[in-house]
Amino acid sequence: MSEAEVIQDSPEYELETDWMDNMGEWGMQAKPGKRGLTLEEIRIGSYGDLPEVSDNMSGHPRGAAERPDAYRVGGYGVRSLKEIWLDNATFLYEEAQQRQWSSATDIPWETVEPLPDEVEEAECLLCTFFNEVEFVAGDVPARWIAKTTPDYMEPRHVLLAQVMDEARHMDVFRKRALANGGGLMRMSGATSGFVGSIDLARDFTEMSTRLHVSGEGAVLSMFRMGELFGQNEAEKRMYRLCAQDEARHVAFGVMHLRYLNKACPERREEIHAYLDEAEAQIMAGLQNPAGTQAETSEALAILLGGGKQGYDEGHKKLLVVRRRQLKEYMQRVKTAGFGDRFEDGRSTVPAQYEAAH
Amino acid sequence: MPQFPSADWFQSVRDVYNSDPSLHSGGGGACDTVAGFKIGAESYLITFEGLQCADVRSAPDKEMNDADFIIEMSEELWTDMVANVQANGKADLNHTLNSIDLTQEESIAFSPVDDQYRQDLFYRFNQNFQDFFDASARVETTFK
Amino acid sequence: MADSKDSGAAVPAAVAGAIAAAGGEMVSGVPEPTFEWMGLTNQWGVRVRPDEHGLRLGDLNVGIYGEVPEVWDDQTRRPRGALPRPGIPPLPYNLRAKHQMWADCAADLYEEAIQRRWIPATEVPWDTLETLPEDVERAVCQVLTELMQYNNVEIEIINYWQDQMSYGYYEVKQYLATTSFDCARNIEALRKRALSNGGGLGLESRGSVNRMILESRGGWTESVAYLYLLRGTFAMQILRGLLVHAHNDAERFIYSHMIQDHARHLTYGYDHLKYSITHQDGQAGIMQTLLSIGEAMMGTELDDPVLRSAMAIIMGGGIEAGRTKGMDAYLHLVGDFVRDYLSICDWLGVEREERLNPNIAKYLEY
Repeated sequence: MSEAEVIQDSPEYELETDWMDNMGEWGMQAKPGKRGLTLEEIRIGSYGDLPEVSDNMSGHPRGAAERPDAYRVGGYGVRSLKEIWLDNATFLYEEAQQRQWSSATDIPWETVEPLPDEVEEAECLLCTFFNEVEFVAGDVPARWIAKTTPDYMEPRHVLLAQVMDEARHMDVFRKRALANGGGLMRMSGATSGFVGSIDLARDFTEMSTRLHVSGEGAVLSMFRMGELFGQNEAEKRMYRLCAQDEARHVAFGVMHLRYLNKACPERREEIHAYLDEAEAQIMAGLQNPAGTQAETSEALAILLGGGKQGYDEGHKKLLVVRRRQLKEYMQRVKTAGFGDRFEDGRSTVPAQYEAAH
Repeated sequence: MPQFPSADWFQSVRDVYNSDPSLHSGGGGACDTVAGFKIGAESYLITFEGLQCADVRSAPDKEMNDADFIIEMSEELWTDMVANVQANGKADLNHTLNSIDLTQEESIAFSPVDDQYRQDLFYRFNQNFQDFFDASARVETTFK
Repeated sequence: MADSKDSGAAVPAAVAGAIAAAGGEMVSGVPEPTFEWMGLTNQWGVRVRPDEHGLRLGDLNVGIYGEVPEVWDDQTRRPRGALPRPGIPPLPYNLRAKHQMWADCAADLYEEAIQRRWIPATEVPWDTLETLPEDVERAVCQVLTELMQYNNVEIEIINYWQDQMSYGYYEVKQYLATTSFDCARNIEALRKRALSNGGGLGLESRGSVNRMILESRGGWTESVAYLYLLRGTFAMQILRGLLVHAHNDAERFIYSHMIQDHARHLTYGYDHLKYSITHQDGQAGIMQTLLSIGEAMMGTELDDPVLRSAMAIIMGGGIEAGRTKGMDAYLHLVGDFVRDYLSICDWLGVEREERLNPNIAKYLEY
């Protein structure tokens, strides 16, 4: 039967086409750039316009034509650009897309070989701790994704990639703990919801400052340390790839703060207060250093020293890396535009950094 | 046989890196950055675009400020790392870029304009740089 | 926060250290370690080996680490199998029963999602896009706009529940992280397609089913019923219809990969519903009620002329044929959705044929 015959033989139905005159801006011709057809390339015409305040309460894609009878199901808490934006969101998202990896097949698990018991215990304690820490880093962005208007899809997409990354981190550390004759150890409890903690933030920037800049900045240093004390290629690679992901998350936080600093100078004092709190938590364990030797510090010292017999040496290496950690934290906060806190005496991190020599 | 360090050597490594996808390991992926290598008195700029090393060349000091970050080590440390790759087929556990970095008092990577965001690209794209130097195992190398 | 064996939270290693104390005092020497943590484990000596597929999440379920209890009372972030620590305050992990989220396939689907990832920016052959007739381009862009909104709803509802799900069932949480990442990628690919061939975005969805999904507060299972059993089964038919009528390799790539991703989502959804129904008394009855409500909403949505007309135009190759064979094909597609839906309901033990909402049942004639 020919096409015409098929059409002729088919019943005729009503076809509404009014909607064709009620669509978004038309004639878009985004073209792939050097990096392919990225989110940056499709920010064209009105589709690239970002509302300072979003009144998209129906959850439609930015730029879609609106219906007068659409249900207002949004209820979004994050609806202003200043609350969440960062200038390089599209790059970070595309980078995350490009750099995904599989803990099942990209880690050379066959290179893991039996280690002395104390070293294995230290590694397993660390893996238990990281497994737990990544729970926070997965749950908390997820909560904020659901509360953010899709008008800000770019930063939202970066957070979605982060949730994916953190799931992979949870998985890889559990795998390592169970791959070499060890097991999971005792939980640290460090991730519970204390006042002022990442969990309980009611403002996105507060959450991001604590999670991305402070928390993940610290974890990044620990992942990098992991490559230093990694006993085999599997561990080295595991920590290196986790560090890559973590650096991306840190970049989100730094760039969001940088944007906020320019867009909302009236919030500077507030941000400083969040940084005060984050730094105080970092310092909280230091009020009696002899009494606050965290389990994970002991485990790190064992790993860096190659065993209990090298504990002192390992501890010294740990201090060197922590000094680096403090320096990088200060550098990131400066890059974000809040470096004045290290010059006017507000922050005691510079003193700690000097004292750590 | 190119000598390390030299523009010829880096370009030979680049050719190897670009020619064989198996050298781009999982966890690498597309990477966009311009980095500098300072090796004694010599400086090189390397550009990654996507999955390729687009360019690597000798560069005067003043151009190094264009780099997102610079990896600077003593010539001895650089030579030791490259020799280790030559001997083992890839960097051994103590000679990866991160391992070397963390055994130094100060970071081997820094931003020439003091921008930690750009310096952090050394961490974000670390696997690509590691793959690049591991690829040098296939370049027969002489040393000074 | 002092750190001792019996205290609450240990200060993370990243925050402790013998750096100057708050008062700026120097501390010299290496603090004496306690090593109290050594030997504190539920089960030691575990050695899971990779096989030809690598070291997968499901492979870790050995010994006590594989014991997945029917109820996980722990409201902390204790990894399953790790030793608890006294004094840790609870967090609002309100979903703590296995039947509230479990699917046996979750761990496998997690690994599959990672292995089958794709990158719209560089893997879609965007250069194969060619100008389409105006009516067809508008229809394509309209359908893609609707699908973007479907994916947005999926993201929002998953992430709403995600942080309420306890870590006793971490496989599900990890799998759902891949699902929302898939949805992000789908939105990305669809938006890129809509903005790269002379078109733009379409009219937003009316949102009847969107609202139903987002307003499902009775538990994740209720959300799954609406998101996957009702909406998801329909969406799969839409994707298949688009694939059959794709105009170029770029569209074929996008739709075929979205189908792959979506199939995983449906597998989890159906598997979870089955588990829930077979492990919770009365759940089958609850499902009957939920589906009665859901079918009514679905019927309302299916009556909306915008998606139906747009699909008919695509499937007919234009407005003219859209009125005839295109609409015919679309109605048959919806009929296939209803048939699939009924079949899955039967499999779940929640037969719907006799109770099917008339506004859905009418499509069975196609």
